[in-house]
Amino acid sequence: MEHKPTMSTSILMLPKKPSGLKRFTIKLLEQRVLVLMSVPFLVWLFIFKYMPLWGWTIAFQDYKPARSFSQQKWAGFEHFQFLFQDERFIRVLRNTLAMSSINLVLGFVTAITLALLLNEVRKVAFKRIVQTVSYLPHFISWVVAASIIQTTLSPDGIINQMLLWAGFVEKGEEILFLGIPEQFWTIFGASTVWKDVGWNTIVYLAAMTMIDPAQYEAAEMDGAGRIKRMWYVTLPGIKPVIIVLLIMNIGYLLESGFEPQYLLGNGMNVDFSENLDIFVLKYGIAQGNYSLSIAAGMFKTIISFILLFAANNLAKRMGESRLF
Amino acid sequence: MTKKLLFVCLAAFMIFTVACSNNGNGGEEKPSNSTNSPNTNTNEETDKPLEKVTFTYFNGVAAAKDKNTNETTIGKMLEDQTGVNFKIEHLVGDLNTKIGTMIASNAYPDVMIPDAAIDKILDAGAFIALEELIEKYGPNIKRVYGPYFNQMKAEDGHIYFLPFSNTVGEYIPDPNINQGAFWVQRRVLKEAGYPKINTLDAYIELIENFVAKHKDEDLTGMVSLTHDWRFFATSNPPNHLAGYPNDGNVIVDMTTFDAKTYAADDNTKRWLSKLNELNAKGLFDKASFVDNYDQYLAKLTSHKVVGFFDYGWQFANAQNALKDAAKADPTQDDFVYFPLPVTFDGQKDQYLDPPGFVKNRGMGITVSAKDPIRIIQYLDNLLTDENQVLQKWGIKDETYEVDDKGRMFRTEEQIAKIDEAFNESYGFKYYSWNWPLYGGGSSLPDGNSAAPGLQPEVFQMSLTDEDKLILDKYGVKTYAEMFAAPDARPWYPSWGIPKEQGSSQQIWETKKDEITKKYFPKLVLAKQADFEKVWSEYLEAFGKLDTAAYEKWTTEEVKKLIEAAKQ
Repeated sequence: MEHKPTMSTSILMLPKKPSGLKRFTIKLLEQRVLVLMSVPFLVWLFIFKYMPLWGWTIAFQDYKPARSFSQQKWAGFEHFQFLFQDERFIRVLRNTLAMSSINLVLGFVTAITLALLLNEVRKVAFKRIVQTVSYLPHFISWVVAASIIQTTLSPDGIINQMLLWAGFVEKGEEILFLGIPEQFWTIFGASTVWKDVGWNTIVYLAAMTMIDPAQYEAAEMDGAGRIKRMWYVTLPGIKPVIIVLLIMNIGYLLESGFEPQYLLGNGMNVDFSENLDIFVLKYGIAQGNYSLSIAAGMFKTIISFILLFAANNLAKRMGESRLF
Repeated sequence: MTKKLLFVCLAAFMIFTVACSNNGNGGEEKPSNSTNSPNTNTNEETDKPLEKVTFTYFNGVAAAKDKNTNETTIGKMLEDQTGVNFKIEHLVGDLNTKIGTMIASNAYPDVMIPDAAIDKILDAGAFIALEELIEKYGPNIKRVYGPYFNQMKAEDGHIYFLPFSNTVGEYIPDPNINQGAFWVQRRVLKEAGYPKINTLDAYIELIENFVAKHKDEDLTGMVSLTHDWRFFATSNPPNHLAGYPNDGNVIVDMTTFDAKTYAADDNTKRWLSKLNELNAKGLFDKASFVDNYDQYLAKLTSHKVVGFFDYGWQFANAQNALKDAAKADPTQDDFVYFPLPVTFDGQKDQYLDPPGFVKNRGMGITVSAKDPIRIIQYLDNLLTDENQVLQKWGIKDETYEVDDKGRMFRTEEQIAKIDEAFNESYGFKYYSWNWPLYGGGSSLPDGNSAAPGLQPEVFQMSLTDEDKLILDKYGVKTYAEMFAAPDARPWYPSWGIPKEQGSSQQIWETKKDEITKKYFPKLVLAKQADFEKVWSEYLEAFGKLDTAAYEKWTTEEVKKLIEAAKQ
C-alpha cells in the first residue's frame, strides 16, 4: 500500500508497465547488488528486533527465570490488570507524557531558534565557539550533570545565593528547588535544553547548508530583511527535516528518558518525577517481576506504534514529506 | 589528500570493528567451554586428588581488584595445602543485571556470593544442596555451622549456602561502633565539659547550645541521610530511640515476641516532630532530603555538621578521612565524630548488634561447578583454627606477635605496614571476609579474638592520645562500652528473614518506602502548626497498606526462629 507513490515515480521512466511477479523479478535482477548489500542488515534486524518479540509471551505468564517454556505458569492478562488498575500508573503515565511533551516542544523550538541564529552569524570564529560551547554539555554523562544541577539548585547553591543577594529570599528561607514537586518539570525541561540544545542544532545547520544561496540573493533583491529571509527562505528550506524529525520523535513520546528522572528525583518530588521507566524498575525488575516489566514494555510499544502511524498519516494529509 | 585521509580512517574503523567482533566471539566461547568440561574434570581429579585446579568465584558484595588467590601470600599457602586456586571476580556495575545474565544463560561461576540477589539465585535453582557434601567431606563445617543448621535450611529442608555471621567460641563485642548511634563532633563534648548524654532532648540541647555559641561559623545542627535505599538512616532512629536494635521495619516485643511496624507509630511521630522543631529553629539541613550519598559524605567532612544519626559502616569513609586528618594534626581531632547512646527518655539503649545470624547472605556452590567435592574440601580446610589465624592475623612474627601469656597482638610497625596495598598483596583483603569463617565476634579456643580488629590489645594500639582522652573522660576503654550490652534475640536481625521474589511482603516494603520517602520530608519541613495535619494525611496514606498481614507474617517467622534456636 504505502509503497505505491515511490514505485509509480520510478515506473514512469519505463516505457511499458509489466505486471505482477514479472515486474518484481525484473526489478530484483536490476537491483541485485543493492538487495545483496541489504541482506546482512535484514538478518540483523530479524535476529535482534523480531526474534525477541517471542519474549512478549512472558507478559502473559508468571515468569520464573531458568525454567523452560513449558514449565511456566500462564497468568492471562493479570499483569496488565495490575498495571492499569494501579492508581500510580495514571500518575506515572501523566508524568511520562508531560515530560516528553516538554522535551519535544522545548527541544524543537530552542534547537531551531539557535540554529537560525547561528546561521546568521557571519564571523566564523564566533560561530565555532558558540557551537562548541553549546555542544559540550551533551558529552557530560547524566550522573555528572545531575550532580552539577543538584549543587546549583541546593540551598547554598549559586541560584539561591543570587536570589539572596538580590533580596528575593531571606537568609534561612532559601528555596529547596528539588523539593518542590511542581517545579520538577521546569527543572527537567531546563536541564535537557541546557544539555542537548547545541547537539540538536547540528542536523538543522546541515539542512540549512543545502539551501541554494541564490534564494537568499533573490530575497535580498526583493528587499527582504534578515528576519524576513529567515522566515521565508531558511525555515521553509528546512521544513522537510523538521517534519521527519517530528514524526520520529512522536513515536518516542512514551520514552521520556530515565537518567534525569532517576538521578534528580527524590521522595519529595516523586509525584512529578516518577515516569514509566522508573515505575517498571521499581515494581518490575527490582522485584524480579519480569512479567510486569514486559507488560509495560508491550503497552509502550503499542502506543508508540499508534502515535507514529497517526503522525505520519497527518503529515501525509497535510501534503508534507513523511517517513513512509 | 582529504580523500586519502578518509580512506585511512575508514580502514582503521573497519579493522577496529573486526577486532571488536572477534573479541566478542572469544568472550562468548569461554563460558561454554567451562560448562562442557565438568564430567572429564571430575574423573581426573578423583584419581589424583592433589592435582592443581582453578575454580571461578564471583563476589557480588565487595569491590576489589580481580585476582587469583594463589597470587596472594595467604592464598598461596592455602593452595599448597589443598592444590586449589580460586579466580575471584568482583562485581562491576549492577548486581541484578549481572545475576540476571547468569540466570538467563544458565552459566555460573563455580562458587558465588550473590549478596542481595540471593533470592533470585535460589529461585533459579542455581545452588546445589550441600548437606551430603558437608556430611562426607566437611567435619570442620559441621563443627562451625552445626549449631545453625536448623536456621540455614531452606523451606525444602536443604542447605544451599554458607552464611558468614556465625560466631564460634566466646562472643567478643566490637570495640568500635560500626552500628547505629547518634554522633556528635568531639569539640562539642569538649566545650560542654564531657556531659553524659542519653536522652534525645539532652542531645538536641547540646547541639543547639553549640550552634548558638558559634553563630559566625555558619554551622548546621543536624543532617540526615535520605538517598535512595539508604533512606533507613532517617526512618530507623525511632526504633533505636525506643531502645531496640535494628530489626528492619519492625519492633519485636521482648515478652510477647509480636512484631509491630513502627513507621507510623508514636515513636516515629515523636522523632519527626523533633526534626520538625529543629528545622523551624533553622538547625536542620533541609537539603538532607535532596542530597545524594556523596553530597552527604562531603558535608560530614566539611567540619560544618555538628551531629547526625547514622550507622558507623555507612559513613565510615567520612569518619576515616576525619580520623586520618586528626592523626596528622591533633587539633583536627575536634571534628571527629563521637557516638552517643541516645534514647527518647534515657531508657536502656540497644544500639549494639546482638550476636545475630544473617540467614539471607552467603556463599554457595553452583550447578555449573566442575568439582563440588574439591570445593567443599577447600572450604572445610579454611575452617581450622590454624587457617582462621592465617586468614585474619597472618603469619607469626610477620604480621602478628604472641606475648608470654599467649595473647596475640600487633606491633606499631606491623600496624603501619598493613595498609591497603599490603592487604591486597598479602591476601587479607580477599580472605578476612567473604568465605566461610569464624564470623564477627568469634574467639579462638585460647581466648584470643579471631579477628585482630576485635582484639583489645590491637584496638588499644590504634587509638590516638585524643581518642584515649575522650574515652577516659567517659570512663570507658572502648567505644562500645558507651552502650548497653545487647540482649539475646535469637531472631536477630529480622530484616534478614528471606522473602520471596515479588511476594506481598516485598511489595509492602516497596510501597511503605515510597510513602515514607514522600511524607517524611513533608512532615519535617512543614510549619510547626501544620505538623498534626500532615501527620494525619500520612496516616491515611499509610493506612491503605495491608500492614497487619506484614506484621503477622513477620511475627510468625520470628517465632519460628525462636523455636529453631531452642532445638
